[in-house]
Amino acid sequence: MDSIYGTHKPELERTKSFLMERIEEIRSEMKERSGQDPIEHLLGRIKSEESMREKCIRKGLPETPGSALQHIYDAIGIRVVCSFINDVYAIRDAIAALPGCSIVREKDYIRKAKPNGYRSYHMILLTDSGIYAEIQLRTISMDTWAALEHHMKYKKNLNGNLELLTSELKRCADELASTDLSMQTLRDMIYDEGESNP
Amino acid sequence: MKLLLAEDTSDLNRAVTAILKHEHYEVTSVLNGADALQSILETPYDGIILDIMMPGLSGLEVLREIRKRRITTPVLLLTAKAEIDDRVSGLDAGADDYLTKPFAMKELLARVRSMTRRGTVYAEDELHFSNITLSAESLALEAENTVRLSMKEYELMKALILNAGRALDTKYLLSHVWKSEPEADEDTVWLYVSYLKGKLRAVSGKAVITGKRGGSCTLTEQ
Repeated sequence: MDSIYGTHKPELERTKSFLMERIEEIRSEMKERSGQDPIEHLLGRIKSEESMREKCIRKGLPETPGSALQHIYDAIGIRVVCSFINDVYAIRDAIAALPGCSIVREKDYIRKAKPNGYRSYHMILLTDSGIYAEIQLRTISMDTWAALEHHMKYKKNLNGNLELLTSELKRCADELASTDLSMQTLRDMIYDEGESNP
Repeated sequence: MKLLLAEDTSDLNRAVTAILKHEHYEVTSVLNGADALQSILETPYDGIILDIMMPGLSGLEVLREIRKRRITTPVLLLTAKAEIDDRVSGLDAGADDYLTKPFAMKELLARVRSMTRRGTVYAEDELHFSNITLSAESLALEAENTVRLSMKEYELMKALILNAGRALDTKYLLSHVWKSEPEADEDTVWLYVSYLKGKLRAVSGKAVITGKRGGSCTLTEQ
């Protein structure tokens, strides 16, 4: 069977690398300026053949390169995981200012979490060469939460009461969000005091 | 402990004030209902002693007005002996206790102690201010988004909501939220105020806390 991406796979790989290199540059600049690494980890992937075909079917689209590249925006997925919440927004601003691509859509699920408690900042970018990429930015605790929620969603034989697990996950999400904010406040306080008492 | 005494008979007002001060209460005394209401709206009291019969705004009207504004400070009503209807309306309007005149100072002091010991009996499961909701059961702070507070953050947020619009100084917060724990100081208060400022922003709350480190802070609508 032909690839769902047709002959565009190398172009996707190049675009993914291009974006990840730009984000690494943003990271280095911020690190240079503040002395602190804003990114905990940076991951990139090309959506697998299987998931892309499955997504085309789910969305009622033909399994063609046109669908995969023009109607679905996350053939390239990049995840930026930060230690602190303000870094998420600082990196978002720097990505928004990148030359060579533009923002198609943004969703701030940190400011307004999904009902299940999911928090993340989503950006869809379109490069000047016409390739879409989805960037997800979040903190470490949001990342840990999303990983567990993902496991729960896809696990076949769930041990335990689904309703209880769902409401407890939501509670944890709201507690983690609270802790992220407290950590940011503490960091600001440590940083401010360092400035005023050299 | 801060008390407000509203009593229009000046001799009685002076005598009660002197005795309460002697018992180490901080007392503000006023001679009419309008001054009482204004003072309650500006100052966080631990207890209020209201005479029912006062010129202008009566004690009952002051009581109804503050309960309408969700101010839950305990109230002790002073009533004349014959006024059974007043006592009933007073309790129904949200008074915590009453005392009929003439009374023994000893009994007044016992009722004040009892009222302030009980604290706010008007504890609600949910507190609301502007677009924010604070839940006593889950400790959740909610507006467009939800976060779960720690116990101390919850207690501080509750004090700010119950006293919304009024300046709460660090001393008040240390005694009421931290119950004068020895490890707590003005830095502790400021850190927790800072936590709540960040969390109010994060849930897109339209309420803001204004104030300075070591000074007073006030919850107001943006």
